[in-house]
Amino acid sequence: MAVVDRNGRPPAPVATFWQRHKARIVPFLFVVPSLVYVGYFAFYPAAQTIVYSFQTPILSFTTYNYTASVQLGLYTWIGNTLWVVLGALALQFGLALAIASILARSFRGKSVFATVAILPIGIATVVAGYVFSQIFPATGGGYADSVITATGLNHLLTIAGVSLPIYWTHTVPLALATVVIADSWKNTSLVVIILVAGYATIPKALYQAAAVDGAGPFRQFRYVTLPGLRNFIVMALLIRGAQEVNIFQLAYIMIGSYPQLLTVQVYTLYYSTGIYLASAVSTVLLGIVGLFIVLVIIIGGRGR
Amino acid sequence: MIVGSPAADARPPAPLYKRPVFTFANIGLGVAIVVISIFFLFPIYIIFLIAFVPTKYTLFTALPPLYPVKLTWDNLTAGLYGANSPFLPSMYLSLEVAFFVGFLALAVGIPTAYGLSRLGPRLAYGITTVLFIVNMVPSITIAIPISVQFIKAGLYGSWISIGLTQELLALPVAVFLLLGAFQGLPRDLENQARVDGAGLGRTIYGSLIPLIVPALVAAFLLSWMLSWDESTFALILYNPATSATLPVNIFLAFTGRGIPANGVAFSVIATIPVILLTVVLQRYLKGEDLAVGVRG
Repeated sequence: MAVVDRNGRPPAPVATFWQRHKARIVPFLFVVPSLVYVGYFAFYPAAQTIVYSFQTPILSFTTYNYTASVQLGLYTWIGNTLWVVLGALALQFGLALAIASILARSFRGKSVFATVAILPIGIATVVAGYVFSQIFPATGGGYADSVITATGLNHLLTIAGVSLPIYWTHTVPLALATVVIADSWKNTSLVVIILVAGYATIPKALYQAAAVDGAGPFRQFRYVTLPGLRNFIVMALLIRGAQEVNIFQLAYIMIGSYPQLLTVQVYTLYYSTGIYLASAVSTVLLGIVGLFIVLVIIIGGRGR
Repeated sequence: MIVGSPAADARPPAPLYKRPVFTFANIGLGVAIVVISIFFLFPIYIIFLIAFVPTKYTLFTALPPLYPVKLTWDNLTAGLYGANSPFLPSMYLSLEVAFFVGFLALAVGIPTAYGLSRLGPRLAYGITTVLFIVNMVPSITIAIPISVQFIKAGLYGSWISIGLTQELLALPVAVFLLLGAFQGLPRDLENQARVDGAGLGRTIYGSLIPLIVPALVAAFLLSWMLSWDESTFALILYNPATSATLPVNIFLAFTGRGIPANGVAFSVIATIPVILLTVVLQRYLKGEDLAVGVRG
């Protein structure tokens, strides 16, 4: 008996699962290789690190690695790392805001200045670390002292009671400051690029309106530019913040393993004591970066 | 000829007053530009100074002169051709890895970017966030367990192992760049090709890809550049028995396990192509890609 519906016509063929969801499944299949790849090469090793951090060659679950790292000075390493992060973010964002504001204007030679401002992207981190280790050498003196002498600042320093050569890396604050300067030199360009993109989204009419209302350059910056750049600044702060926590070769070449930073300690512990103790410090590092990641997800999601 | 013809009227009227050039604000701007430019250019100048001036005037003196006292090729020739210089194998490995990372970024990045451009906005956002997080995870944290894996697999120190890890940094950037390009294409283009009977593969590679060639080139070169400069994965995964990439050799040279003069030469050689690429790629370095599509 032939199947017919109420109107005497054969029923419409039922769409299969594949036909109904093809438009959504096919694009997802295209994305799968990337997800498998980052899962296996990024998230799985990160999970492994956490597992290793609770093991030793003989014990399968212990917090020994953490208590040992605390005794070795874990809190100092975290403190040093956070000082570098704060210093580098302050310097990079100050500089990048200035550069982006300059690039928002039009003047002769603007493209040359724009190129100069992104050149450090083209210098490998190790090369930047090396050249700054010659500017602020551990042995004292170096190109920084040459500049101080050439500009006559040494007379000023003598009055302040500082004599050349300056041992840049011998005290903790000064050593961290040189790392902050070097890192900001290398990475300010990335912030500039993000902020320039932000500037492009601020309507020019807002500035004209502000000028008509009598706002000078500073109030325009405070009430038009900063609110307009807010989302870009927050995102760039989080991205750069996470990457500052990961600062490694630059610092290692410049100041070696003192003052200690988390990443440098992971590296030296891995080669001196093996994987377990290093994994504990590595997990702490991951935890700090994790805070930035959570903020990115919350803030990024809210913007949608 | 009629006086006051349209051609004559088209000239803009003379401004009522001429803007003064040397205002307080302009001078301040000029000073800021000069100071910032010096800050950015000075270290690059020092790289070349150290490379081309005898080391007794640069590395081995407390107050090195700021100008080239004497020029020499000795640093470069010693670094590149000197006895036991790891330069050639190192350069070869760096190139191998960088091209592998570049091509892999396209091979995996093109389908991913296409898929993301066709997925629903919420799922696509979730997946771009995952890729973005990968870029934030500390390299050193994941490099150590991976190196343990590669030692077991016998791939330790090979170009494949270094390339596969460096791809973690290159792939997200390549995907964001390509995604922007795919989103810029009109949707009808694809529908038309499908109506004409092209399969999905032919639609993508026959009618979409040719339109985004500049983005492909930019994604390839950016990935190449990231790999060429990368040193954390390359350092943890390098096998001292074979060879290391250029940045790793530079790192070793300046941290007491190599010859500093070699590092000087390698630095110049490693820097020149990337500086050129940076200038060429300037307009593809977009804030939206680096901040994963933050909108204002």
